Amino acid sequence: MRNSSACYKKRIRYFFVSSIFLLFFSFAFSQQKTVTGRVTDQDSKPLFNATVTAKGTNISTTTNADGQYSITLPSNANTLIFSYVGYQVNEMSIQGNTTVSVTMQPQSNSMNEVVVIGYGVSKRRDVTGAVSSVTASQIEKVPVTTLDQALQGRAPGVQIINNDATPGGNVTVLIRGVGSLAPGGNGPLYVVDGYPTTGGINNINPADIATIDVLKDASATAIYGIRAANGVVIITTKKGLKNRTQVSLDMYVSSQSTPKQYDLLNAQDFAALSNEVEASDSTHTYHGLPIWHTPDALHTVDWQDGVYRTGVTQSYTLGIRGGSDKVQTAFSFGYYDQKGIVIGSYFKRYSLNLNLDYQATKWLKSSTSVKYSYQDANTPLGSGGNGLFQLAINPPTLDSGNRLTYQIKDGNGNYGFYNPINPNVNKFNNPVYSVETNQSQNITNYILGTTSLEFALYDGLRFKTNLGANVNSYSGFYLSPSDSRAAQQYPGSVTTPANYHQTINRTFEWLWENTLSYDKTFGQHTINFVGGVSAQKNTWTGMGGGGIPATNLTRDLSSVSNLTLDINGNGQRIYTLASSFARLTYQFADKYMITGTIRRDGSSKFDTGHKYGTFPSAAVAWRIKNESFLENVNWLSDLKLRGGYGEVGNESPIGLFQYQALYGGPYPSNINGGGADNFGYPFNKIYQSGVAPTQPANHKLKWETDKQTDIGLDAAFMKGALTFTADWFKRDSKDFLLTLTAPAQTGFLTLTRNVGSMSNQGFEFAANYRGKGGKDFQYGIGLTLTTITNKLTSITSGVDHVVNLGGLVLNGFQGWDDYTRSYVGRPIGEFYGYKTIGIYQSQKQIDDLNAAAPGGIYRPGTVARPGDRIFADLNGDGKVDEEDRTHIGSPQAKFFGGLNLDGTYKAWDINLYFYGSEGNKILNYVESNLESFAKRGSEGADNVSQKYFEEHWTPTNPSDRYARALPNGGDNSSLNNVPSDVWVEDGSFLKLKNVSVGYTLPTTMLSKYSISRLRIYVSAQNLFVITKYTGLDPEIGMIGGSATQNGIDAGTYPSSKFFTFGLNVTF
Amino acid sequence: MKRIKIIILTGIIAFTCIVIPIACKKSFLNQTNTFGLSPDAVAASKDNVIGSVNGIYDTYQNSNLLKKCLWYRANFGTHDFFNWGADVSWNNYQIPSNFVGLNDFWNNLYIGIARANYAIPVVEIARKNGVVDAALADRLTGEAYFLRGSMYYYLAACFGGVPLELQTGSDGLTPRASRDSVFAQVVADMQQAEALLWSKTALPTADIGRATKGAAYAYEGSARMWLQDYTGALAAFNNPELTNNYHLLPNFADVNEYDHQNNDESLFEVQFYLKQGDPQDWGGSWQPPGGELGWIDSFSWPNEITQQGYDYGNPALWNSYQQGDQRKLLTIVGPGDHLVSPGIIAKWGGVKGYPPVVAGFAAGNATYKADDSTILNTIGTLTRPWYGDDKGRTGYVCAKKWRDPNLTGNYNGPDGKGHIFGDQNQILMRYAEVILSRAECKVRTNDVAGAMADLKLVRDRAWGGTAPATIQDSADYKGDPGQPITDPLQMVLSEYRHELSGEYSTFFDLLRAGTDVAVGFINTANGTVAGSYDPVPNPAPGPTHDGQKHGLYNTAINANWTLLPIPQSARASNPNLTQNPGY
Repeated sequence: MRNSSACYKKRIRYFFVSSIFLLFFSFAFSQQKTVTGRVTDQDSKPLFNATVTAKGTNISTTTNADGQYSITLPSNANTLIFSYVGYQVNEMSIQGNTTVSVTMQPQSNSMNEVVVIGYGVSKRRDVTGAVSSVTASQIEKVPVTTLDQALQGRAPGVQIINNDATPGGNVTVLIRGVGSLAPGGNGPLYVVDGYPTTGGINNINPADIATIDVLKDASATAIYGIRAANGVVIITTKKGLKNRTQVSLDMYVSSQSTPKQYDLLNAQDFAALSNEVEASDSTHTYHGLPIWHTPDALHTVDWQDGVYRTGVTQSYTLGIRGGSDKVQTAFSFGYYDQKGIVIGSYFKRYSLNLNLDYQATKWLKSSTSVKYSYQDANTPLGSGGNGLFQLAINPPTLDSGNRLTYQIKDGNGNYGFYNPINPNVNKFNNPVYSVETNQSQNITNYILGTTSLEFALYDGLRFKTNLGANVNSYSGFYLSPSDSRAAQQYPGSVTTPANYHQTINRTFEWLWENTLSYDKTFGQHTINFVGGVSAQKNTWTGMGGGGIPATNLTRDLSSVSNLTLDINGNGQRIYTLASSFARLTYQFADKYMITGTIRRDGSSKFDTGHKYGTFPSAAVAWRIKNESFLENVNWLSDLKLRGGYGEVGNESPIGLFQYQALYGGPYPSNINGGGADNFGYPFNKIYQSGVAPTQPANHKLKWETDKQTDIGLDAAFMKGALTFTADWFKRDSKDFLLTLTAPAQTGFLTLTRNVGSMSNQGFEFAANYRGKGGKDFQYGIGLTLTTITNKLTSITSGVDHVVNLGGLVLNGFQGWDDYTRSYVGRPIGEFYGYKTIGIYQSQKQIDDLNAAAPGGIYRPGTVARPGDRIFADLNGDGKVDEEDRTHIGSPQAKFFGGLNLDGTYKAWDINLYFYGSEGNKILNYVESNLESFAKRGSEGADNVSQKYFEEHWTPTNPSDRYARALPNGGDNSSLNNVPSDVWVEDGSFLKLKNVSVGYTLPTTMLSKYSISRLRIYVSAQNLFVITKYTGLDPEIGMIGGSATQNGIDAGTYPSSKFFTFGLNVTF
Repeated sequence: MKRIKIIILTGIIAFTCIVIPIACKKSFLNQTNTFGLSPDAVAASKDNVIGSVNGIYDTYQNSNLLKKCLWYRANFGTHDFFNWGADVSWNNYQIPSNFVGLNDFWNNLYIGIARANYAIPVVEIARKNGVVDAALADRLTGEAYFLRGSMYYYLAACFGGVPLELQTGSDGLTPRASRDSVFAQVVADMQQAEALLWSKTALPTADIGRATKGAAYAYEGSARMWLQDYTGALAAFNNPELTNNYHLLPNFADVNEYDHQNNDESLFEVQFYLKQGDPQDWGGSWQPPGGELGWIDSFSWPNEITQQGYDYGNPALWNSYQQGDQRKLLTIVGPGDHLVSPGIIAKWGGVKGYPPVVAGFAAGNATYKADDSTILNTIGTLTRPWYGDDKGRTGYVCAKKWRDPNLTGNYNGPDGKGHIFGDQNQILMRYAEVILSRAECKVRTNDVAGAMADLKLVRDRAWGGTAPATIQDSADYKGDPGQPITDPLQMVLSEYRHELSGEYSTFFDLLRAGTDVAVGFINTANGTVAGSYDPVPNPAPGPTHDGQKHGLYNTAINANWTLLPIPQSARASNPNLTQNPGY
């Protein structure tokens, strides 16, 4: 018969024992004894390098190749602890013996792990929901900046996409697919040491993480109610240790290579193309710069070389963990410094973490966690149009610009610029000048502190009160000095005024949660209950504005001219949540489990009458292995079937007070620009302020709802060496809090409403195998695989699709404001455009199509010429227009997954980690520009790819793929570069994310330096990628967190190879 | 046991007494919005009530709306002017339905209409609560009706029938009404406005620029002309609010001068203003939406003066002005022509005073030399026209929009700053147009003598005394001498062209006379060719007759192209909107 205190002790012991194979400090003892013995596996084969430790001390040794060990112990040492990777930790009492030998048992499987499930913990074997876990040992193998990157490929059903490789990370986390159409509506809830955060988590040092548990289905997440629809990521940081001390230093240095680059034209080829365009321009409107007529006189500038550099990353984490029976502490200091591969980009983080657990009395325990981090990050040239995209299109020569230099920057500090009065080039900038002369700062300080008191009231009955505060404060400025370089050389040219902009804001949030729990076993019946209440209040305060500073040194808003304050950036707003929740689990005979969860959440984001939502869930599990008919089936170590259903909510996509009718204004006249309207108007040259409706009332606005069903199977074979988890899931999401482009007829360009529904269903698999090859070689194979089918099932009455929402707005020219369409009945974010059928080779081809067209023009709005792209008339009406656009590919992967290979041979360890995605398409916007000589949507001549230069259509080079080269006017009317299937590419890839080789020095060498473990390793990330994608990097996420802007390559900050050298030292 | 009980008690007390009340306290979730104004707050403040009407005017203060749709249509539609730059598709009527100007025009006007629909009940509440007095409430409500009506007027003129939104809370899915019912709504709104608005004479100086009774009559009359109710239109045009309170300025040059903004001839003009200290360069307050400065005027000046030159004139328009018509050089100037704007002459002495001319001449740049090697003071020379840096422009420039002496385009002025963005108001309706419209009504109602008298009013002013009795173009697009125009309607159309080109009306006034009338007039005046989409050499003898192509287009307009395409974005969000034929 079990009782709860036994269960409790077992848990404590589990924690204790499982952490003990870390190392110990020694104490001085006067009397000593020596114990010897042999460590073997279940087949009586010796285990080499197994660790033998005296319990309660830091005395330890390792076994030799024959499995033999010898250890000298103080006389009062009673117990030895034996540990070996992949095997259960074994404690043996010495009881006066001088010989102690053990047979180690393989770790049965992961079923005995403790899983954090929100307001409590459970053994994995008892979990009824879909939960994936990642441990510190898995994370530490791949150097990452943020811990969400560490999750990539580790947990089935969890898709981590590096949107780009910006220092500091820019990551999309999707748990079981896209749950909301709304931009910013797909991120999971992060719970850090029990605190449900409202911000991101890149303030947390990955080295501080002990475990990450990902709650994926509603039966697991419903305890977090209105914030749970996209899954919950529970992060637990490293705690202190009982009765021992461990000092650890983890450090690495990485060098990051320059990325893959576009193959662009040099000045000579560019000028040749310009001359070709000029000669063939039937309108005689295009004339290149005079100097371009003599290509040999030109100097090439290579913008990619000018901007990309080798990056360096350093990371250091010093940890001290220890404590007594009563008090355990964990302290760490981390320093992370990444110099990115793009000039000017960096990310620095200092972090302090302190965890303190204090068992004050048998019935009272306090736990405190304080995390501070300071972040300084900057990416002056990031992804997109004003950033790295420039490198692809800037003309490759600065000749005829700055008369002092034709270089990007010469030895005297002069920066080249394009000719400011020639329209072919005067819209282009020298990005190196901007990066090196502009000043900016983005500093954030984060403090997350929680403290709890836990009262053991009665047998199994506990009360816990948890108080937390989460504060972050941001301070940033941007100063671009005035630029008179062009004006000095080109009389009359405009001097660009200086610009200074400063922003500060602060978020203060507190949380108070109280729970009552009861855990008790009666005979074959076990009950676990937790219930509680929670209140959370978030206050945001901010100020920001800008203007023209008097000098390039002035950082004083009170002295700028034309001061403009940010609209909605100056003031304070408050957001509150109040909740009550409960979970009851009942188990019978270790075979049948049932869990019910309910949370009632209230949010100030909604109007009276719609503030509260109730989110129920239930799940059952059946441990079939424990049935009598499987009792003797030895090849099967465990088998459990799970099923659950629940409803969870999502309120993240909208801001506060969206339910109220609101007017904007009155603002002073200088509030305008950047999409802000002052609403005022001058009469007879005197400004009168104005007000105007900015949003209509929508009292019915409420949270998004997700109904989730999960059926899962957990199995273990071969005495636990092989484990297997499979889940089928279905998510039906509805009532998206969507700020949808509204017909202007409503009076608003966008409206926030609850609209639409979609479904995601899929399978996820995880398999792990631990094996041995010979006596010294152990290996592990881990595979995760996920497949998701996503379908939009409705939007709103009369609307059958949405166009790409939010995020980056690509150049609206030539239809590049309408490049994805999500139709009812189809996947979200599908690319939308024309089908192409090659290139016109003759005027007759065009004339024939025109002759058959109803209005005499096959493509109204264009004057086609040989060399232009032919678009398919899909609806068969004889002409090509908007109605002939169609779905041209989906950014969603058919499946994605990770493969992890571990091996140890004697003191060596190796890790290979692959991540891949199959079946997703990419819309390559950059390529559409690399095939256009015209600066699109503007004026000028821009650079193209070498391939386009060589293969584009000319009368003598009848390409069927690359259209003719055109200046602006022709480019505009040819529409060769509209969104079409030409730009859609297969985005499938397989990346070797990590390969690392480590060597652990023998203990004998280290003990005299008081070092108990020293591992050195080298690793490489992104060593290769297998893909057909022609752009720089196929790993492309969502722009602005919008599922309708997924897989668009608009010139991203590319990833490249890292080479890392690191040390893990434990004292 | 006793201690444990105490603990239990403490725990439960803590749980029930402290925590539950806080978390469940209703007010905890009732937070106050500290940004923005509620409708009640607007109605409770006189300034905000007025502001809610000012906000309607504000939607007109948008360069994309005014220039990239209204002005383009009024002037590119007739081929009197052409675009250079990214919008050349207007030159051959291949206007894409996703063109940004169409989109902004449509969206801004519908937002303006909605602001009017929201303002009307707000003013009513404020009137009931005594926040505004009856006279002010009337004026504000009248302004809302006037602005709504004027917005429907321009929507229907550009697109044909459009959805009618007359209440707040529309779901935006209303389909298009017929063009006639939209103009009927314009008539109804203008009639409401006539009853409520203040007379021009009653408007305080600080409110000049607001709609007046007279302006409402002008738009009512014009809307009735679209409905071919010429008798009703005449009645509106003859209302004393118009005829007594508005007058032709004696000197045509003054009508569009910078120092004559909000003049006695102007009925409705979109207001801009230059805030003190506001630079007129990229750092200033030009950005849409809400920009108080426009980018309308200097952008059309020659590339040689501003580096811009985004619009240029058709030599056919220059050729067509009748001998002695003073409007010619105040509307379009070509090679060898001097600028004649009094304000420009006063500030710069003409072309010769502009910074690039001064600097270029000093540097020996031939572009800025006259044929006699003195500093240039004309728009290029007869031997070296200003075709722009790419030789892709005709050498002719719009002089109507070259009146703001503060502007220097993309070059720094003497103060070392670029003056690119201007605050010159944009006149949408003026009294001369009313008189010409009245003349057309008289033609339509068989009062030819009356029509001729009205034409004479406008023409005499154009000649600075007495105009010739015969109306005829000096030359046609080929340079052949013009013939006397004898058809009274054609006489009116010719005067629309010569009086109003370069402003915001010509194409619409032609089209108002009938689609076939407009198509015929434009094609004849420009010798257009169907299916000719590329530039052609100037066929007329003269300085630009060099056999080269300099951005002169001769694409024939057809009935379909007299309507603009419904913007793609509008159709994407309202599937009930049908597209116009031919797009």
